[in-house]
Amino acid sequence: MQGQANAASMGDLLSPLGSGEGIVFLLLSIGIVAMALFCMTRRNPVTAVMSLVATFFGLAGIYAMLSAHFLAVLQVLVYAGAIMVLFIFVVMILNREETTLISLRGLPTRVLGVAAGVYLLLVFTRIAIPATVASPAPIPETFGTVASIGNVLFRDFVFPFEAISVLLLVAVVGGVTVSRSHRKEKDAEEAAEKRLAIEHLASHDYPEPAEHLDNADAHAAGGHH
Amino acid sequence: MNAAESFNLRLIPLLPFLGATILILFGRRMKRGTVVAIAAGAIAAAAFLAFTAFFQYLPETAEHGGLRDVVWKWIEAGNLSIDLAFRMDALSGLLCLIITFIGFLIHLYAAGYMEHDPDYARFFAYLNLFCGSMLVLVLGDSMPVMFVGWEGVGLCSYLLIGFWYTETANASAGKKAFITNRIGDFGFLIGMFLLFQATGTLRFSEIGALATTGSALAAPYWLGMPMAFWVGLFLFIGATGKSAQLPLYVWLPDAMAGPTPVSALIHAATMVTAGVYMVARLHTLYMLAPVVLAIVAIVGAATAMFAAIIGFAQNDFKKVLAYSTVSQLGFMFVGVGTGNFTSGVFHLYTHAFFKAGLFLCAGSIMHAMSGSGDITKMGGLRKRTPWTHAVFLVCWLAICGVPIFSGFFSKDAIVAGAFATDIYPESLKWVGPLVGTMLLLAALGTSFYMSRLYFLVFTGPSRADHETQHHIHESPSIMVGPLVVLAIGAGLGGLVGVPGGLFGHPEWNVLGEWLSHSVGPEMEVPHNTEMLFMGISTALALGGIFLAQAFYGGGYREPAKKFAAAVPGLVKLAQDKFRVDELYNAVIIRPLRVLSQALFQFVDRVLIDQLLVGGAAAVTDVLGRISRALQAGDGQRYMAAFAIGAAALVFFATRPTLPSELKVNVSGTTVTVDASRTGRQSARGLTYAFDFDDDGRAEVTGTSPEARYTYERGGEHTIRVTVTDPRWHTESHIKSKVELGGQN
Amino acid sequence: MLPTFYYLCLSFVLFVIGTAGVLLRRNALIVLMGIELQLNAGNLAMLAFSRQLGDEKGHAFAFLIIALAAAEAAVGLAILVSLFRARQTINLDEASLMKR
Repeated sequence: MQGQANAASMGDLLSPLGSGEGIVFLLLSIGIVAMALFCMTRRNPVTAVMSLVATFFGLAGIYAMLSAHFLAVLQVLVYAGAIMVLFIFVVMILNREETTLISLRGLPTRVLGVAAGVYLLLVFTRIAIPATVASPAPIPETFGTVASIGNVLFRDFVFPFEAISVLLLVAVVGGVTVSRSHRKEKDAEEAAEKRLAIEHLASHDYPEPAEHLDNADAHAAGGHH
Repeated sequence: MNAAESFNLRLIPLLPFLGATILILFGRRMKRGTVVAIAAGAIAAAAFLAFTAFFQYLPETAEHGGLRDVVWKWIEAGNLSIDLAFRMDALSGLLCLIITFIGFLIHLYAAGYMEHDPDYARFFAYLNLFCGSMLVLVLGDSMPVMFVGWEGVGLCSYLLIGFWYTETANASAGKKAFITNRIGDFGFLIGMFLLFQATGTLRFSEIGALATTGSALAAPYWLGMPMAFWVGLFLFIGATGKSAQLPLYVWLPDAMAGPTPVSALIHAATMVTAGVYMVARLHTLYMLAPVVLAIVAIVGAATAMFAAIIGFAQNDFKKVLAYSTVSQLGFMFVGVGTGNFTSGVFHLYTHAFFKAGLFLCAGSIMHAMSGSGDITKMGGLRKRTPWTHAVFLVCWLAICGVPIFSGFFSKDAIVAGAFATDIYPESLKWVGPLVGTMLLLAALGTSFYMSRLYFLVFTGPSRADHETQHHIHESPSIMVGPLVVLAIGAGLGGLVGVPGGLFGHPEWNVLGEWLSHSVGPEMEVPHNTEMLFMGISTALALGGIFLAQAFYGGGYREPAKKFAAAVPGLVKLAQDKFRVDELYNAVIIRPLRVLSQALFQFVDRVLIDQLLVGGAAAVTDVLGRISRALQAGDGQRYMAAFAIGAAALVFFATRPTLPSELKVNVSGTTVTVDASRTGRQSARGLTYAFDFDDDGRAEVTGTSPEARYTYERGGEHTIRVTVTDPRWHTESHIKSKVELGGQN
Repeated sequence: MLPTFYYLCLSFVLFVIGTAGVLLRRNALIVLMGIELQLNAGNLAMLAFSRQLGDEKGHAFAFLIIALAAAEAAVGLAILVSLFRARQTINLDEASLMKR
């Protein structure tokens, strides 16, 4: 019985894809998913950041489809524009390539975690099926415009708005504090260098001296499993 | 009466224990003189007390069981009530006198003998400890207290035999003594348990009263033999261990590895007589079972002969004396085994004197011969060590049984008693004469080998090398003094026990008179039998001496050499102690060793160490490893665990509920199924699908957990119920079989 | 107007990809980016429902989420830089001091 109901609604479910809106959505979502996958599977952090930016652009398009104009723009300006730029800065400072893609420490637990996450979301999605399969009702023109959202923000959400301003302040201060240069930093750097050198000596595949001087970082990374 | 009752018997064993404690704790730092003063002083004080008790107080209370001193209540467990109590009656009193007096003499002797030994204090501490334990044994009012003393003397024997423990041989000898004793002690324990089972008490006074023909002790227990038989038998096994009879005598010759004073005190005068004392103590019990007494007598006689034969061929001074002791103990057991308890104790008393004297002479001689005891290298010491020679002469004549000397009277009492005994039932009447004859032969043997010893050591030219000859000297007076006292005792001590039948004056038998209160009246031996056997034993004694003189007078003479050449195998066999030790080794010790090795390798190493201990550790290790994995400091793993936990929660919260068993109601071919579950919410919009014949098609569906269905045919059907939760889209199934009566 | 369900599916897929990245990658930067993906997926779901219900509160919420994400990214990256200074690596496996 359930199976029959599902079969019937599957057909209903997929039919709107045929419309223009549906095609746009399909294209955009394929792009988004592709870019997201791309991002998560890159070894090169710069490539990853760029593909994430692409993802965000695609998402902005989706938001526009959802009549969330303001947020679409915000997504591009703040997320893709500011946050990702921040990421780029850091990536530029710390640019190291990975040799192995996935962490092998405790892999079973992690994979199980991912599977658990999939299961959770599957359950949630299935819950939502009955409520969400219908096309939503039409909405007024002013939906999602700056004016109406501003109204909501400054009337119903004024406290969270202010709170989040404080949060941003805290974040700024915190960021500065955390990344302050300490006197001990130099010692830590030297200690870390020494540690790397020792581990390097202790590793099985001891490289040739010439190579060692050449590309110390790559071999230090490769010396461990 | 009052003074007698309040006499502190406990002091008699306590003083030596005190001496031992002081010497163990502080002896190292004391001067030699102080050590001897404390040790000998303790014994002397105990002797003084013992003499006081015996001569002053005992006669008053003798009829009432003697002096008694209860120290405290030791065990109170159900029926079992044992006090730590001491009792002195004539028997234990006599032994106390012997122990303390001879013990004192030997302490003095040892003061000189052990002069150059660095462990002076330890020696005297052990000696005192021994005396204390022996006194506990003898004065014990009940079997457990006696057993405490029994074990104590065993321990001291071990400690003293292995006194010079740095030599492995000495330590092994000590071990051998203790272990062999232990085997006997096992028998003793079994006997004690049986005794308690039969009588419910372990006090000697009460046992004595209960040992009548009507009691549980006389009732048949096993194999038709009365309980008294079994008790007596097992206790006697303990006695064979402690008193070195067949088959557990093997430790005594090895025990000669200890210092000579030890051999004299423990292995001649006192400890080894504990078995005889025990039998005499329980004489009423033993008299209930003459069969076991017959066994005692036969074992004693056999041991006497066996040991005598071995003694013929021994070349070590102390070994000869050791086998002599074994032999003489056999005599004592024949004495008690023929119901002649007085004579057994009499011989114990005379033997204590002359054997201690002989052993101390041995020490003196070895002292003179620079530590060697090899009689093949001795000779001619009569002139060089006159005092020792004189003492040895007296003790030698005593042990041979030459008239007037003490051994004569006691041996004769035993032999005559063996022939004159009437305690055996008809079927065993032959035992008396048999053991008597065996003893006569053994007496001849005793006379022979002791005379051999005398002649080889004291007469003729010296066979020692020049160096040793040069050093031969008489012992210091502190050693000679006790020797003389012992000789006097050996010579004249027998006169207290002159048998009544001899001169027609029964009252001359003071000893018998004393002991009658404890061990029953002296055996009545007809005058003629008495005279006959006195004559025979004298003849045998003198005969043995003359024979030995012919063989060994003045050294190894022609007859000896011819005899040795004629039967070299026999001589070798006797020399090798009939290879009994080797037999025991092969039959008992080796298999035990193999077994214990096997147990060690398998049970200990594998089972316990690897499996249990290692296994326990491994379990902890594995559990620890698993637990450690949970907290590896890896944030991503924590997040994963987070997700897993959340998913698990959701999973368990969204499962639709079905009971573990369907409630099925059958009436005819109609079945009512109830799939509801009590205690859990059922109003959740669940959808039930009932498939009544498990064909994949649900006959009844709906939101109610109950359904009814009528089958077309009877027989066995399988019902499958599926419940679905539409919100979470999860399902559960349950199957149930149902039997229907056939219809259609 | 497409059924909300489509957007939910997309949100689901994005969230799963983000989770996989967060749990499985070694490079801390990539992990942070995965977190951003997760946040965005949530945002998308938020806006989809907002559209369905015709209520702009969802938009405001999404707005706040973006601001939050910014703050979190800033602090996270600052910590990352600190980590790099201390351990000279941003490889989470290497940076950990604990036994494997």
